[in-house]
Amino acid sequence: MPNAILSSLVKTTGPLIESGLTMADRMLGDMRSLVRDCASLDSAAPSSTADRGQPADLDAATSEFANRILRLARFTQFKPSRIAIAYQDLSGAAMKSSPPLLLRDWLTLPAELPLSFATLAIQEGLRAVTSAQATPPDRWADFIGFVVEVFSDLHIYFSLQYNEELERWQKCVEERPSDAAARLELGRTYMKCGLFEEAARELEIAAKTPDLRHRALYERTVALYRCAKYRTAIRDGTACLALRPKCERTRYWLWLSAQRAGGYPEEVPAKLRMEAKDGYHPTALQLEDVAVEIGLDKVSGGRGTAVLDFDGDGYLDVVIAGAHAGCSLFRNNRDGTFEDISLGSGLDQCVYGFGVSAGDYDNDGRPDLYVSSLGFYNGEGRLFHNNGDGTFTDVTKDAGVDFWGPGFTATWVDYDLDGRLDLFVANNVGGLFDRKTRNRLFHNNGDGTFTEVGIEAGLHTPWPTIGAAWGDISNDGYPDLIVSGMGRAQLFRNNGDGTFTDVSREAGINAPAIGSVVFWCDIDNDGWLDIIQFTYSRPADAIYTLRHGHGPAGGSPPRIYRNNRDGTFSLVSDKFGITGCWGTMSACAGDVTNSGYLDLLLGNGDPSIDRSEASILLENDGSGKFRNVSFSAGLPFTGKGHGVNMADLAGDGRLHLIVASGGLYPGDLQTSAVYRPTSSLGNYLNIRLTGVESNRDAIGARIKLRAGSRDQHRLVSGGSNFGCLPCEQHFGLGELTKVERMEIHWPNGQRQILENLPVNTTLGLEEGKPGWRAIYTRK
Amino acid sequence: MNTDFKHTNQIVDFALPPVRGGPGRLSQHLVSKQGAVIVFWSGVCSHCVRYDAYLNDFENRNPGIALLVVAAREHESRAQLLAALSQRALQLPLLHDADRALAHQWFVRQTPTAFLIDANLQVIYRGAIDNFKYPQDPEYEPYLDAAIEALLGGSSPARPETAPFGCPIESIHYILPKPLGR
Repeated sequence: MPNAILSSLVKTTGPLIESGLTMADRMLGDMRSLVRDCASLDSAAPSSTADRGQPADLDAATSEFANRILRLARFTQFKPSRIAIAYQDLSGAAMKSSPPLLLRDWLTLPAELPLSFATLAIQEGLRAVTSAQATPPDRWADFIGFVVEVFSDLHIYFSLQYNEELERWQKCVEERPSDAAARLELGRTYMKCGLFEEAARELEIAAKTPDLRHRALYERTVALYRCAKYRTAIRDGTACLALRPKCERTRYWLWLSAQRAGGYPEEVPAKLRMEAKDGYHPTALQLEDVAVEIGLDKVSGGRGTAVLDFDGDGYLDVVIAGAHAGCSLFRNNRDGTFEDISLGSGLDQCVYGFGVSAGDYDNDGRPDLYVSSLGFYNGEGRLFHNNGDGTFTDVTKDAGVDFWGPGFTATWVDYDLDGRLDLFVANNVGGLFDRKTRNRLFHNNGDGTFTEVGIEAGLHTPWPTIGAAWGDISNDGYPDLIVSGMGRAQLFRNNGDGTFTDVSREAGINAPAIGSVVFWCDIDNDGWLDIIQFTYSRPADAIYTLRHGHGPAGGSPPRIYRNNRDGTFSLVSDKFGITGCWGTMSACAGDVTNSGYLDLLLGNGDPSIDRSEASILLENDGSGKFRNVSFSAGLPFTGKGHGVNMADLAGDGRLHLIVASGGLYPGDLQTSAVYRPTSSLGNYLNIRLTGVESNRDAIGARIKLRAGSRDQHRLVSGGSNFGCLPCEQHFGLGELTKVERMEIHWPNGQRQILENLPVNTTLGLEEGKPGWRAIYTRK
Repeated sequence: MNTDFKHTNQIVDFALPPVRGGPGRLSQHLVSKQGAVIVFWSGVCSHCVRYDAYLNDFENRNPGIALLVVAAREHESRAQLLAALSQRALQLPLLHDADRALAHQWFVRQTPTAFLIDANLQVIYRGAIDNFKYPQDPEYEPYLDAAIEALLGGSSPARPETAPFGCPIESIHYILPKPLGR
């Protein structure tokens, strides 16, 4: 069936199938309740934290079993002679997936087991249907292959079974040295472990088999690049691309190798070469990587970054989480250089961190930290209380925010405007066949503890969630929530009474997407918050964008939703000139050029070991268009930016672009980068708010600055990404030397106006207190 | 917990049971050496495996520096450690910190984490062995080797500390059922 017809069919029938599946899910849920009621069992889902050694309940068990089958299917070579072994594997998987059952559970098992599998199938079906709508049919195979590989690998590498994996393939190769397919997998496994020279050796042998030559040469090109053997990578990449000249991924790695080797050698034919067109828009901005110089060059599978003044000395400090490292706490030496003081801080105890967000939940003047865990694999988020002496105490359990789940974005918010920060944690799925872990909204009780109120608040999300952010649809002062992930984005309007209403459909932002992070900002400076949602793109689309300066037909560029000021939003990415498909995993906005307009920084890629793509800087040219200036400004061609951030780390008006990089595989570690403008491009003003009646961090406050007869608007955010931007708000002022007026809308509703503020300085403003205090002026 | 360690970088002599024989006390290893490298390690750590050749050849390359490798991962038995040494043909002076007491005292959370100490038991360097690149990579940073060179040359290392990376020595994920079901 032609793709166009298939696409049209999916788009027509998709929503109907979704509705049907949702209804069926509800009916099956009711049937399960009925069964359990008849057997006098508690209908409430048991906590999956009860026993981590085995699935806690039937639903967890059916998910576990399905995931085991997926892995067995992927890692087993099916041959008739192995039927007995396959049967043993299957029964072993069933046994190991069994939950602890009481006698009365056994009574209902014949009815509950099929219902459990059915509800799992419905959840999977819902995800499949929305993914199919979000992805053109010609990309389905790529997407399914990517998802199956990543989700079946995650468990292997996070539970340290790489050895078993290596041994399995080594044994296959020893038993059947001519089995090139096994050798190819052995090479790929070596690569995921970071053993690139060993990988290259095996892949070279595998490449001698004609059927696998292209694939093996491609993988070998990547392995050789990764171990810095660029000349050999060029040779193999050329041979590989000559076999299939349309393979864009090979062309990309050949190009990358050539870039490292100082250009294409003569022997690479012109038809196999490529040129990067995206990222070269002219700019006055010049960036230099100063991570080593300032001491922020952390090597890890970089994840979230948080910028905060943890010790109250007025200087911005940095926390970097890492999938293969502890959380690192870097103290600002008051000159824009940093000292790693993680040792013994308590944060060094926090490994496998993913998202990290700062918020002073007890209003003691010291920002605390929440670190989510793993994102695609079950873990435990942790809340760290700031002790004020350079150490943090893990208070997760005492505070009542402990739960077991694949935590992604964590964001602080005072959703009920009681002056205390509440916490929202977005949860993804911990396996391809896992049920969606509920997102959590923790209400701050004011005594150091929290109560989870997500269900009562009405924040139901059927989709695996990655991104979440709080903003304001209607400027009514109550924080509204946007969540994004694999499915439909959901916009929840705050009813002002502790509950929320899903207004996604009427607001016009619920189109299916393979979504990632999302945030609010006033991109057009009209005083109404807009929404930017970022999305996954397959490698071929990202390479197409690099080569052509725009994404391919059917691609998925970031989505800018402009607030229409009537409760609805319009998709306006095209109007802003955003047409590239970069496959963004993390993103933030800030005025890097000090022009008075927000620029965008995107960290890109996906977990695959053969993806290493540039971070993208989109400069707002002031006419309502974004220009990709990444490479003309000096960003490198490669990366895997999970935690991007922007902050004036040196207090001199230059926003530093912080990029924590790296992937899920142990072999995909990268070094954090910090890109600093080589010179300041304009005047600026940094503002820090301190709440009194409002929460002390003033999260949720809105600032309107008027300078040169033009307004700029900012929202103090409690995190929306893998991490959180600093609460300090940076305003670029270009040539302007005076700020005429600043209007602050505090979360508690109070409005405060200041006039004739100075520029090129960092000012502190306190709620209800006239005037300001200088924190520091430009160094 | 040795609270001085964090502030003074001074360690005290320690002894741990050797996994495959040999001396178990740090001071015994330090005899006639200018310093020692102590690497916290695990037989199942996917990051440690990258450094097999580096550690195997360490004492040949650095005759003036002792090497002690400390196995500190939760639930990793002596039998498992011996099996890992044998399978990977590792000739490491391996000590077993079975209850992770030394790791806790030194604030170690991950493997591999390396410490370089001088003959006076002062920590000269701690952190990652390198920046996870290959020596032929122009961006390769041999953190530990640079610190050793500084120690042997009588100077202080340019980078006395880097953030370690690797596998956690304690993690709930290691006691979960084996996902492959084997």
